[in-house]
Amino acid sequence: MNLLGDFNLLRPTSLDEAVKALSGEGAQPIAGGTDLLPNLRRGLSKPKLLVDLSALDHCSDIVALPDGTVRIGALVTLEALVASPLIPEAVKQAALGVAGPTHRAQGTLGGNLCQDTRCVFYNQSDWWREGNGFCLKYQGDKCHVVAKSDRCYATYHGDIAPALMVLEARAEIVGPEGSRRILLAELFREKGDDHLTLSPGEILLAISLPPMSGWSAAYEKARVREAIEFPLAGVAVAMKREKGRIAGLRVAITGANSAPLMVPVDELVGQEWGDAVAETLGKQVRKTANVLKSTISSAKYRRRMLLALARKLASQLWIKAA
Amino acid sequence: MNALVPRNGKIGARTPLIDGVEKVTGKAKYTADLAHTGAYVGKILRSTKAHARILSIDVSKALALPGVVAVVTGADTPVPFGVLPIAENEYPLAREKVRYRGDPVAALAAIDEKTAEAALRLIQVDYEELPAYYDPRKAMAPGVVPLHDDKPNNVLREVHNEFGDAEAGFAKADLVRSKTYRFAEVNHVHIEPNASLADYDSERGYLTLHTTTQVPYYVHLKVAQCLQIDTSRIRVVKPFLGGGFGARTETLSFEIIAALLAVKAEGKVRLLQSREETFISHRGRPAAEITMKLGLTKDGKITACHADVVQTGGAYAGYGIITILYSGALLHGLYDIPAIKHDAWRVYTNTPPCGAMRGHGTVDSRAAFEDLLTIMAEELGLDPFQVRRINLIPQIPYTTMLAQKVMSYGLPECLDKVMQASGWAERRGKMPKGRGLGLGCAHFVSGTSTPKHWTGEPHATVNLKVDFDGGLTLFTGAADIGQGSSTMAAQVVAEVLGVDIKRISVIAADSALTPKDNGSYSSRVTFMVGNAALDAATQLKEKLAQAAARKLEARPEDIVNHDEHFMVAGSQDKGLAFGDVVKEALIDTGTITVKGTFACPKEFMGDKKIRGSAIGATMGFCYSAQVVEAEVDEITGKVRPIKVWVAVDVGRALNPLAVEGQIQGGVWMGMGQALSEETRFEDGRMLHANLIDYRVPTMLDSPDIEVIIVESIDPNGPFGAKEASEGMLAGFLPAVMDAVHEATGVRPDQLPLSPERMADYLDARVKTH
Repeated sequence: MNLLGDFNLLRPTSLDEAVKALSGEGAQPIAGGTDLLPNLRRGLSKPKLLVDLSALDHCSDIVALPDGTVRIGALVTLEALVASPLIPEAVKQAALGVAGPTHRAQGTLGGNLCQDTRCVFYNQSDWWREGNGFCLKYQGDKCHVVAKSDRCYATYHGDIAPALMVLEARAEIVGPEGSRRILLAELFREKGDDHLTLSPGEILLAISLPPMSGWSAAYEKARVREAIEFPLAGVAVAMKREKGRIAGLRVAITGANSAPLMVPVDELVGQEWGDAVAETLGKQVRKTANVLKSTISSAKYRRRMLLALARKLASQLWIKAA
Repeated sequence: MNALVPRNGKIGARTPLIDGVEKVTGKAKYTADLAHTGAYVGKILRSTKAHARILSIDVSKALALPGVVAVVTGADTPVPFGVLPIAENEYPLAREKVRYRGDPVAALAAIDEKTAEAALRLIQVDYEELPAYYDPRKAMAPGVVPLHDDKPNNVLREVHNEFGDAEAGFAKADLVRSKTYRFAEVNHVHIEPNASLADYDSERGYLTLHTTTQVPYYVHLKVAQCLQIDTSRIRVVKPFLGGGFGARTETLSFEIIAALLAVKAEGKVRLLQSREETFISHRGRPAAEITMKLGLTKDGKITACHADVVQTGGAYAGYGIITILYSGALLHGLYDIPAIKHDAWRVYTNTPPCGAMRGHGTVDSRAAFEDLLTIMAEELGLDPFQVRRINLIPQIPYTTMLAQKVMSYGLPECLDKVMQASGWAERRGKMPKGRGLGLGCAHFVSGTSTPKHWTGEPHATVNLKVDFDGGLTLFTGAADIGQGSSTMAAQVVAEVLGVDIKRISVIAADSALTPKDNGSYSSRVTFMVGNAALDAATQLKEKLAQAAARKLEARPEDIVNHDEHFMVAGSQDKGLAFGDVVKEALIDTGTITVKGTFACPKEFMGDKKIRGSAIGATMGFCYSAQVVEAEVDEITGKVRPIKVWVAVDVGRALNPLAVEGQIQGGVWMGMGQALSEETRFEDGRMLHANLIDYRVPTMLDSPDIEVIIVESIDPNGPFGAKEASEGMLAGFLPAVMDAVHEATGVRPDQLPLSPERMADYLDARVKTH
């Protein structure tokens, strides 16, 4: 209901034009807008220029490459992602868990991955935040999650990133310096007010998924309701089981820290799944996660769910792979 | 008095709402959709302090901003308002003090939204902060700074009622138990945010206000009172409305502010409220701490009940006195109980004011009562159905100790029906691990017999016009808020006159056109307006029958009517078409307008000798029983309702289609309160003011709700009808609590049973076993 501020809108048709526009001061990209627009209406940023990426070529489709890699354009909607036969089940589970059908029809993969971090002290109206002295993430100098903190603890709540991360997805980025490919995990950094490693002018163009080759994966999120909600905690697990042993294991978490994070679980590889391994897995998740009071739900419950979901998914994948 | 038996097929027929197509095609105009060319944009500046003295407000910079046409503050609103004449303590704009974060402090009108936003930032308010209270126990403590000077201990109303001898009742009992419950505060989440369009004609001195309300009449009175304008110079219209559920059963500050800005700007002002502001207006169900105590004999007969209730009321009185009285008033009338004691405190806190919400004041007490009854029955080895049957009201008519009359009572049949439908006898106690069944009963009034504003007028008035075109126009002040009241009134008229419902236009809730109506609250409309429509239609039928008799050369008493014809009873001749009867009737008289009324007889208004008996006084109670089947996920703590069987005694279902929808909505709202909804504050700062953090259930969370309509045919309801949308809400809470117990062994004492709360219960269980 709140008024959008004034901004210019540019809809480039070439990457060069888009990169150039986004290199300028105060420029922000927009694709589906499902994350950005509510934030703009709350005055959570005041871009001078919105660069609408929707007219760009080569990033609206899902293509299987000859080597078995699946390239997913950043502008592919979540609805299209879920409908594609080329997309692994874990990624579909994650995408289907996002918001509701209308948001999934509008929202894009790139937008979902690059979505802003969230915090109960940040995602509020301007009036509300003013009455609370604003915050470190925007317009203020104090973190209300961790008093006296010098960094922002807003939380990353994207569903899809961890599911892609455990499948070793890579991100294709173009920018003023040309293009680069990084592991998706490297797109993020643990800093609530600056959680993307994109430099000015850089655009996330596509995600590449290597072939599954014997891995199976799953994603699950903790939520109160079956629709609408961001993950209170989300876990993705990928596992490869060979000869009664864990031949490969990757775990990623979301809804916990300022970035989606890989949980170090290499020490579990080569072992047989069981209570002791589950215990270690839980310990590693606990060590990686830094869940704070950034949501209306308690940190205690979110921690509990991270552990529970990690164990549950790993156990299910272990059984399934037998 | 016996209920009229319908004969023309319009009553009891599944009838789509007459305004339904407009809504689903998007044609319906809600307040924000109304033409607003030339309207100024209104905006409200709200307090950022929870409790503070206003030292100064400087609006000069805002006024000086080009494009700003009017700025108002508390200095412009010297007259307070409130829905109860005995507790009017809210100012449209705060004067001297603010009492919660969000309290309106100033407002302005400007040529566009951007200017209005900019101007708001130019208003400078200096506050002196005062201690703020969010917990009722702290607000009541000695030495507090009162929110309102007339209540030094912050208690708006303290209630101590006893009917029968509770102490003797408990002494007689074989089992006495008490348990303390905590219920979170909840909000209605009506989907259409609050909005007003106010237009002041300064030449005529005439104000037209379109607004999102359930009570246009109350808005009319309070706008006149606060703006000190004569009521004859005001017109209030309620356009299409996106729900209410009690949030809009009292005048709210935003609509008075819109009117004030229009007067001051001498023009049209459009004031739209954000979702956050709509949450701030609140008027939801207060957080309640309830200690319930029951005494039972070995065979389950209740000997006494004692409810101790503390409600966290928020910053202003609103409906508070009634809400706290309701927390005891409807302990009566569901079962036969020889002694009921009620001690209760309604406490002011520095949070947005609570108000009426579906099941007003009764829900939490009912949930506590039903849960404890089930627990004690288990201790006595009695089935939940058994213990309720033992305590049924023994004979009808029945008068409660609070002087409420029970003229129809379908609860026994409701119990039988849900027991059978749910397979209770075969399944209860034998459910697979993690699943359970639970039972809950509840009831609610079909309108309050004692209106808030005593005028001596009938409770409802309906005008019915027939003219040269053969069209019937029904004029009612009743606000259709989506519940289908306009359809109901049209059905009643169609039934009596034996005409197609399409012959009837309903003009509703426009003070310039329609007779006054108290509004859509306390489930009064079907009973009262339905009866008034019945009266009007009956009068018109007599006039038309006389005309038909003239034309057919028969006696009026021999004329019958159906299928759009009037004819002589028993005759083979198909008689006169409706249009021809109307033409005959108009000769010499012209357009015919009849006025139907309904007034509650005195004997239904409580007993003057019994203090508080005006609250909960009604002509008929709706009764319900429901069984909930639920599943609990031991890992996530999620409680998932799988199926609900709900039987509701609605007297007679005038429109089974609408009745089913209302019942499902009521159950569903109970489900939201039981499982996921709660308001959340930090230092009085509302954290939940959006639809992500305030967790109203989604379609995916909704179980299959099987509705079983029970018709007890109330002697006083229109065709026997009673209330059909509130009396089933409360039952869900204890039913799911009991289902959770069967599934997990946990006996909850706090709601909602959100996953995190349920997970804590599960952890506690593991630790104690």
